[in-house]
Parts: sequence; structure tokens; C-alpha cells
Amino acid sequence: MKRLLVLAFIFSILFTTSCDALSGLTGSSLKIGLVTDVGGLNDKSFNALANTGRLDAAKDFGVQTSVIESKKQEDYVPNLTTFAQQNYDLVIGVGFLMTNSVWKVAKQFPNVKFAIIDGAPADDAGKTENLPNVANLFFKEQEAGYLVGVIAATMAKDKVGKATHNTVCSMGGIPIPPVDHYIAGYQDAVKTVSPSTTILNGYSNDFVDQAKGKEVGLNHISKNCDILFQVAGGSGLGYIAAAKDKGVYAIGVDADQADVAPGVVITSALKRVNKAVYNTVKSVKDKAYKSGDNFFSIANDGIGYGKLDPIVPANAKAAAEQALTDIKSGKIVPKDTVQVKG
Amino acid sequence: MSIEVLLGAGVLAATLRLATPIALAALGGVITERSGVTNIALEGCMLMGAFFAIFAADKTGSLPIAILVGLVAGMALAGLHALAAITFRADQIVSGMALNILALGLTSYLDYELYGTTGTPADLPGVPTVDLGSLSAIPVLGGAFGHQSSILWVTFLLVIVLELFLFRTVPGLRLRAVGEHPRAAETVGIDVRRTRYWAVLASGALAALGGVYLSMAVAGSFTDGMTNGKGFIGLAAMIFGRWRPLGALVASLIFGYGDALSVSLQGVSIGDLRIPVQLLSTIPYVLTILAVAGFVGRSRPPAADGVPYESEGH
Amino acid sequence: MTLASSAPPTGPLAAPSVRQPSAQWAQGPAVPVISVLVALFIGAIFVLISGHNPIRAYAALILGAFGSPYDISETLVIAVPLTLAGLSVAVAFRTGLFNIGAQGQLLVGALAAGWTGSQFPDLPGILLLPMTLVSGVLGGAAYGAIAGWLKATRGVNEVITTIMQNYIVVFVMHWLLQDGPMSAPNALGTPASSPIGAGAILPIIIPNELVPLSRLHAGIVLAVLAVVLFWFLLWRTSLGYELRAVGLGARAAAQAGIDPRRRMILVMAIAGGFAGLAGMIQVSGLFHRVFDGFSSGFGFDAIAVALLGKNSPIGITLAAILFAAFARGGTLMQANASISSHLVEVIEALVLFVIAAETIVRAIAGRRGTPAEALA
Repeated sequence: MKRLLVLAFIFSILFTTSCDALSGLTGSSLKIGLVTDVGGLNDKSFNALANTGRLDAAKDFGVQTSVIESKKQEDYVPNLTTFAQQNYDLVIGVGFLMTNSVWKVAKQFPNVKFAIIDGAPADDAGKTENLPNVANLFFKEQEAGYLVGVIAATMAKDKVGKATHNTVCSMGGIPIPPVDHYIAGYQDAVKTVSPSTTILNGYSNDFVDQAKGKEVGLNHISKNCDILFQVAGGSGLGYIAAAKDKGVYAIGVDADQADVAPGVVITSALKRVNKAVYNTVKSVKDKAYKSGDNFFSIANDGIGYGKLDPIVPANAKAAAEQALTDIKSGKIVPKDTVQVKG
Repeated sequence: MSIEVLLGAGVLAATLRLATPIALAALGGVITERSGVTNIALEGCMLMGAFFAIFAADKTGSLPIAILVGLVAGMALAGLHALAAITFRADQIVSGMALNILALGLTSYLDYELYGTTGTPADLPGVPTVDLGSLSAIPVLGGAFGHQSSILWVTFLLVIVLELFLFRTVPGLRLRAVGEHPRAAETVGIDVRRTRYWAVLASGALAALGGVYLSMAVAGSFTDGMTNGKGFIGLAAMIFGRWRPLGALVASLIFGYGDALSVSLQGVSIGDLRIPVQLLSTIPYVLTILAVAGFVGRSRPPAADGVPYESEGH
Repeated sequence: MTLASSAPPTGPLAAPSVRQPSAQWAQGPAVPVISVLVALFIGAIFVLISGHNPIRAYAALILGAFGSPYDISETLVIAVPLTLAGLSVAVAFRTGLFNIGAQGQLLVGALAAGWTGSQFPDLPGILLLPMTLVSGVLGGAAYGAIAGWLKATRGVNEVITTIMQNYIVVFVMHWLLQDGPMSAPNALGTPASSPIGAGAILPIIIPNELVPLSRLHAGIVLAVLAVVLFWFLLWRTSLGYELRAVGLGARAAAQAGIDPRRRMILVMAIAGGFAGLAGMIQVSGLFHRVFDGFSSGFGFDAIAVALLGKNSPIGITLAAILFAAFARGGTLMQANASISSHLVEVIEALVLFVIAAETIVRAIAGRRGTPAEALA
């Protein structure tokens, strides 16, 4: 008992003497805070990309930065508030789940700049209200879906390599807008480029369960699908695993997933969240911060398609490049509603 | 809606695949509970197995070593539980839950530190599948069994081995005695604590094998929290199976079937009605409740289950 | 529950031993506190290995939870639903039933409350708030009663039922809110229901001048009342006496009291009611609508909260505050001490683990308890 009292005593001494060590980041350089949504930093999707952007910015611009991973939706407001209370210069919220939370906190801290990835501040009634200290970083996922859809459709109709059945498919995590936009663009491209191609769609109803994702994939493959587009985070890796097992092709999402399964992943639908974060940090540093809607699309290199596997033929690449130009010029406007629900 | 969707080879094959990790966790549960220790840390043991197998596969490139390391990791976690539950007579539920959180935190932490930016490597050794060759031509069943992971077959084997062990061998009888009447068992000279330690360690290894299956055979990679509750479903299967290996297998298969249906029924419509995909996902759970409710009689755990034991003159 | 007990195990995997409320707790609040310190010590080693400063980390932890009025208010915001969920689990434990379904019951309560609150948005608070509250409680109670009924009539182990029920409600909620009958198109980007009427909102009880930005709402009052109700029910009513007696294995009490099947259904309904109230509070006090996937994890943590709190009203409340402190303090550990959120989890797990194995601490402290004490 005595030994423990001594220990506790020592602890409290050490504690009080380091009181100033806990005031968080100190110093004169900019402070950038990132709050992830409940998916966590290792979600192989938005949070991870945003984090990459943050770390790159920290390296290049010498800013100080911190991250808080949210565990429940209840945490968004206090997490954002924690950074705001400590006078961070920029607080970035990852995800559409946070639109109301950012609205609340941004209103209370008008001197702190915020950014939301994939959303705009929404008031308690659910209506969008742009605020002067919030930058809404929107991505046109349907454009990315369209690009990879062009590649998939070209390969399917020309029966390239193992894609012999003229059938393509996709799997979403859950049917929410950011997921469905990708799928909508994908399906739109396929219907435009190759109306004869069969389109399948499904959902794993989960962003973590790889076994489930794999089962959906195997199911689609049994229905002749040769090119599988995953839009389901961790669960989507299972979808890709199905393609790998059965020797067909897959398409990654958000980040370039060519390394997940070389020879299987023919390209990825890129959503350069990291670039958006990086640019926003830069804009704060350069005092060029722009609140309100900031669109990241093909036009400003926020959207693209990933590394092409050698199997992808030249005409598919050319078609994708053409689509890129056309979307940029406004000639093509990819649909954002899913047609084949599955 | 065709019969193929409900009973085709594809659905049955999926059933087997989905049931495997649950069955392994359930087997782990059976062993430990039969010896009188509640181990709800099986989910954590699965996760440890899943991560450390990938880690070892990455570092050594050897499948056998990877599997071994995975099993050892699961046993290590289970060992902590055994220490708390048997030696220190701690509350077994809290200990189990604490270890689950520990496993989740530890594996997620290591995953991020080691593979955070790159993801786990793509070129890991795979788990061999067992190809039944010409037998696959048998209608329905041939397709179901014809091309499955070797771990699946190992699981079937383990079910039989454990069923025989528990109910047809003397050591198995001793283990059950420890679970039913520890005091009487001790009087007869059985070392209660040592038996329980072995049982808990074995359960850790079994659950870990389930995790190894998920990460090495199904996914080929590791993602945080990838076991996603399968350890707990395994516990439910154990209870459903009345604490018998064969029963646990049947229960796991029923759950696996429901899970497989939730995938195969996507897109299928009955007339004009399409079942929403989200509701399809409830099938395995509803099915399990209905199946258990359909059986007559109560499920009774081993009498001294979950109660810490202290021997005479301790 | 002693080894000599021959009561039919109504428990699931194993109904944990139901302890006397005050004996163990009175014996040593010191022991759990010391357990926490021991665990933190081990955690400090982990932090060191990961290359960070443990003192800074723990300072952040404590300050994050209790350092300022805002922090305390946030800790309480988490503690409120957790306490209620803990009561839900505990009331079942007292009868020897294992309620793993607090999470599912919480969500059903939330859905019911959210529906009622949004269906009649123009009703005044004096009507709408009680209606919303009753909906939440009844919703959770009904869900719990299903598990009780299945056990009473078909012998289905409640562990199985409640685990399954937890998953079922999550998926049903997905459907209801994503594109089903309860979904409300909005700019929130995330599937959510229509907002509840102003009358259904539990107001913030701390004025902005006192603690700016506080989110602490009147739900805390409801939680305190619930704790009192829990105590009253179990220690001041004959039903409560009977429930506790049954939980301790007293066959005579079981036979003299109400029909055991009715009892099972009633207890699970009461348990569900507590959890449903937690869900209603999250909707009425915090979010003002139902969000898909909110309030995850309360039901699960509630099991540990109930057990750590020895199924007693004060114990549960304190355990809930401990968990909430970790959740809240963990945030600051990440923000200010750059500790990975997963390391925070590891430390939390260590604390839990060591508290569970109290006897480890007794041994270190040089006080070897008697076997009976250790078992009790």
C-alpha cells in the first residue's frame, strides 16, 4: 500500500511540473487540424487520403498539424470544437457526415477557418448555408466513375484479355450519394460507349467486411461479370479479391489501388482528396483561402483515373482521354443517379 | 426467383465459405466453456490471428510460419485471459471484453504504423485450395465443395476430432468434468486449473485460425477490425449448437446460409417487389433466431461455466 | 452464485456472479483506483515505446476529461446514455439474464422517439416531449420483451436473440433512413430522418454564459431519475426483491413469485426500456433527428460498465463516467499529445483488464483477500 502511495506521489509531481507541456501545439507557424469521420485513418478511402494531404502539406509548408479520429457521430462537434478552442488556423472535417457539426462549430468560432470534404455546412433544419469561414470541398465522383466506365466498356465490348462476357459490374458499400455518384457515372459511361454491355450492381451493406464483399464479387462473376468496380472501402478490397481469385479484372476507388492486386486492378477512379486538403492548407498559408463551394473535378485535376494496367489497350486509354477532354469542356456531363440499382 | 438462387451450388459454396470463420470461433468457445471458462475474447483472438499471420507472411514469405505466428498470437491473447480468469479469478466477461478492445487497438495501431500509407502487400503467399477434380461434376454438392480453401477442410476435420475428443476419450471426459463439477474432478485428481489453461489456450488458437482464414485465404490483406463481429456470432453458434462441436458446425452453417442468401438475393424480385438490399442483410440473423426458436428444449451451459474456481487449501 | 448452487442456470454463456450491491464496493474504492494507476503505468510503457511522452499523454487525458467546464460537460454528455445503457444491462443481470441487446434496444428507442417527435412537430412541448419519451421507452421495451418472450416460450437463449437483434435493427435502420419510409431528403449528406419538432427537444441546461458551447442537455436529469428508479425498483419493491433473489439462485423465491415466464418478459422489457430511454435522449438532446449509424458502441460498453459497477446504481454511474472520461480525454490525447487513437484504446483496455483482475492489485498492494472475498 505504501509503495503505491509513493508511486502516486511521484506521478503527481511529474504531472504538475509538466503542466505547460499539455497546451498542445505551440509556436508561431500555422496549426492545421484534421478530424476524421468514424471510418478511422486506416479506411483506405477518404480519411486516409485526407491524412496524406495533411502530412504532405506539413512537410512542404512547415505547418504544425494534428489529427483526431472520431469514434462515434456524437464526437464530431466536440472534436471540431477542441481544435477551434485551441485557435487552430484551419480545421478540416472529413466527410459528409459532418456537415451539420461543422456548421455549428464554425458559427461559434468565426475566426477559425474550416473546410469540409464532400459537403457544405448544413443548419439544423438540414438546409445548406454557406459560411464565410468554411470551404466546401466538393468532388464530382461521377466524373471519375465515368472515366473508368469508359475504359471498362471499351475493354468489355472488344473482349480484351479475360473480359470475354461483355458484362461489367460494381459494388457499393451502402447506397449513399458519395458512393452512388461513382456508380452512376460508371453506368452512364458504359451505356453510352457500349449499350450492348450488361451491367450489374450490388452492395455489401458494410465498409469493413471483406468476406461479404468477396461474396458479392463471386456472385457477380458467376453471372459473367469480368470487370468489377469497387466503391466500398475495406469491404471493396474483398470485391477485388474475388476478381483476383477468379482471374478477371477490377477497378479501384478513391486512391490508386493498382498495388492492391497487380495484374487484376486495371485502373482506379481517383478522387484526389489529398490534393484538395493540400491546396486548402496552401491557400490558408498564402492568404488566398476561398470559402464556399470549391469544386474538384477533372478541370482542376481533382478527379482522374489511376495507373493503367498493361492489359488496357490503347483505344481504351484514348477513349478515356477523350472523355476527360469532353467532360472538362462541358460536352459530357456524367449522370449522378444510379440507373441499374441491383 | 429461381431455385438456383436459393439452393444452387453457388449459394451452398458461399455458405461453406461464410460459415468457416464462425465455426472456428464457435469451436474455440465450445472447448473453453466445456472446461468451465467463459472466453468472450474470441473476437480479439481472431483479430490477432488475422493481423499477425499477414505480418509474418510479409516478413518471411512462408505460409506455414505465417499460420503458426497467427495461432501463437491468438494464444497469447487467450493466455492473458486465462491468467485473469483462472489464476486471478477475475470477472471473465470484463476480462474478455477488455482483451477484445486490446486486440482491436493493438492490431489497428500496428496496421497503421506498418502499413498505413501503403496497405498490406499484395504478393503474400495464398492458402492452397483443395480441388476435388472430377468430383466437382456432381450436381449441386460437387460445385459446393469442389473448390474450397484447405482451411475449410481443416475446420471440418477439427469438428470431428473435437467431437470425438470431448465425448469419446478420457481426456475429453476429464475436461468436461472440470466444467461440470470442478470440485469433484479435483477430488479425483484432475488438475482443474491446468486443464482450464489448456482449454483456453486451445480456444485462442482455434479462433485465431478463423482470423487467419479471413485475412490470408479470403481477403489476402488486413483491414482494421476485419473480423467484424464474427467472434460473437461464433459464440451465439456455440450456444445454439448446445456446446457441442457438431452442433456448433450446424449452427454456423445455418448462419452462413443466411449470409449467402443476403448476397444471392440481391437484385432478385418477386413479381414487382424488390427486397431492399439493406433488409436482405438481416436474413442470417432472423434465420438464426427462427432456427433456434424452432428447436424444442432449452440450452444448458456446463454447470460450473463462468465461475472462478478455488481449490481446497488454496 | 456459488458452486453449490443447484439453481438451473438461466444464464447464457455464464451468468456472471451477481454480487451484493454494497459489500464489494464499500470494501475498497481504493482498489479500483489503484488498479487504474497500475494499468496507466503499463500504458505509459506502451506510450514510451511508441515514441511519445507519457506524462504529456496522461495530462492530456485527464485535462481532456475534467480540465475545464466544457470538458466536464462533454464527459457528462457521453456518460448520460452510457449510464442508462448500463442500467439496462444491470437490471437483467440482477435476475440472472444476460442482456447483450442494449445497443439494439437503444436504437429502436431512438427510432421510435425520432418518429414520434417528427410526426407531430407542431405540438407544444408539454405534450410532445412526454410522447417522445414514452415512445422511446416503449420502443426499447418492446424490443427487449421480444427476447424475453422467446426465452420464456421457446427457451431461446437471450444471448443469441439479443446479439442477433442488435444486427437486425442496424440494417433495418439503414433501410428506413437511406431510402425507406423514414428517410428525409436533406443537405446533411448523411441518411437521416426528419427533424423532431421543437417541443420534443431536451433543452441545454447549462446557459451559454456559464459554459459556452456546452451540449449538456436535460437528459442528465432523466438519467439521474432513471438511476433512482433503478434503485427503487430493485431495493424497494417486492418485484425487485424477487428479481434479486432469483438472480442469486433462490429457488423458493422463484416459485413463490410471479410466473417465471412473465418475469423474464417483464425484466427484458424493463431492461429494454432503460436502453430505449438512452436512445430517446440522444435524439431529443443531441441530434434532434435520427442519423443512420449514430450512437454506436454504447450498448457494448454498457456491459463492461454494468459489471465494473457491480450492477449497483452508484457503481454504474461511476463506471460510466470513467468510460466517458476515457472517450473524452482520449480526444485530447490525440490532439495535443499526438497519441494514436488506437493506443488510447489499448490503454483503456488495460485499465479495464486490470480492474477486472482486482486480485492482481490486491496482491501487489500486499493484501491478499480471502478466497471468499475474491469470489464474491
